[in-house]
Amino acid sequence: MKKGKIIMTITIGIACFVLVAIMFMQFKIVNETDITSIEVMQEAELRTELSNWKEKYEEANQKYEETKSTIEEYKKTKESNEETSKLLEQELEQVNMALGKTDVEGQGIVITIKEGDTDEFNKISSDDLLIIANALKLAGAEAVSINDERIIRYDMASINNNTFIKVNGQRILPPYVIKAIGNPTYLESELVGSGGYVDVLRKLGHDITIEPSDKVLINKIKEDITTKYIE
Amino acid sequence: MTNKKKISLVLGVMCFALTTAIVIQVRTVKNTNSTVSQNYEENNLRAEVLQYKEKYDNKYKELEEAEEELEKERKSSVENNEQLEKVENQIQQGNKIIGLTEVKGPGVIVTLKDAQVTTGTTYIGDPNDLVVHDVDVLSVVNALFNSGAEAVSVNEQRVVPTTSIICGGNIVDINGERIGAPFVIKAIGLPEYLSNIAMEGGYLDRLKGYGIVAKLEQSNSITIPKYSGVISYQYAKSVE
Repeated sequence: MKKGKIIMTITIGIACFVLVAIMFMQFKIVNETDITSIEVMQEAELRTELSNWKEKYEEANQKYEETKSTIEEYKKTKESNEETSKLLEQELEQVNMALGKTDVEGQGIVITIKEGDTDEFNKISSDDLLIIANALKLAGAEAVSINDERIIRYDMASINNNTFIKVNGQRILPPYVIKAIGNPTYLESELVGSGGYVDVLRKLGHDITIEPSDKVLINKIKEDITTKYIE
Repeated sequence: MTNKKKISLVLGVMCFALTTAIVIQVRTVKNTNSTVSQNYEENNLRAEVLQYKEKYDNKYKELEEAEEELEKERKSSVENNEQLEKVENQIQQGNKIIGLTEVKGPGVIVTLKDAQVTTGTTYIGDPNDLVVHDVDVLSVVNALFNSGAEAVSVNEQRVVPTTSIICGGNIVDINGERIGAPFVIKAIGLPEYLSNIAMEGGYLDRLKGYGIVAKLEQSNSITIPKYSGVISYQYAKSVE
């Protein structure tokens, strides 16, 4: 009688333990299902993803070929300081271009925002400009400027309850003229049409024009970015 | 005897509940899997995406090796020539600022997490407010640059001149990489200045008002990785 009871208790104990263990395993699987993973993407998403990776691959390939040929050139010019210097200057120019230290030109769009007679609350703020700059970069803008302030990093601020806006620490005044170099169609379609931010601002009463152009000139950064803390 | 019956009854009910729970769980997991694998077209696409991703990864590895080689070649080319060494130095310094090399330094780490709604309570208002959005991440990045950040990364993705931060559903897309919450934003600069973004009435405070978990930590040694992509120009040309 007693023996039977003990065995029963142990059996039930083991059964319960196994069941609980299985449950925890299951919960863990559900938790680990990663929403950023490819397994849960759907067709449209997958197509975008595919073209993204194709483009990234092409870019990497091109850059690889360029790097290889630069290496070869360094090897060839090793004996001549003059030629090495030329090569270095070429490379430096590429770096300076990415840093916004050179004026750049190319096709793109020019957006002009004239503020409407809206109340204080709906005035153009630094957040609006931030969102537009971000959208332009998403659409592949290679260079962006707001009132001639080159946007290398996102550095915008509304000062004194949005009495004025600072970009790169410099005060800018309306009307706001935003220039971007890139594919004009892509750039424009990111801003207008379904949910585009320019449409949103237009609805708030602002007067905004977008002009595509074959020759947009964007000036270099006014003050070089200096560093003190990065190693 | 009644005691024994009671125990058996309790145990029976427990076992039944556990088994039911397990069955439900197994079914849920099975269901999610089956909807995923049913679509033939999607599976093909998925395979193609993975194939291109792998192609890119391989090419990128080759590129990284080539870049290291280039750096060595450049260094050896300018040896013993002060003038040239200066230019070489400018190139390296420039690449650090752009985000093409890994950097270290003092700074802050900001963590953003979706609001935790305890079950049983109902939130009155827009449930959208409870989630961290692309604009929130973008605004924190912007605020950090305002406060003098010299390098910034979001979930180990370096912010470079071409970076955009955009959301699709629950996922945020940065540099074309998909990331989910929590968002860990690292910035190098003077920690005291960078901490300004956590000031009272500042942006982090506003997010906290919605229940979003926003945390700022100072650190003396932060490592920010290099950009894991390629910056290239097809439309823009330098002009003198």
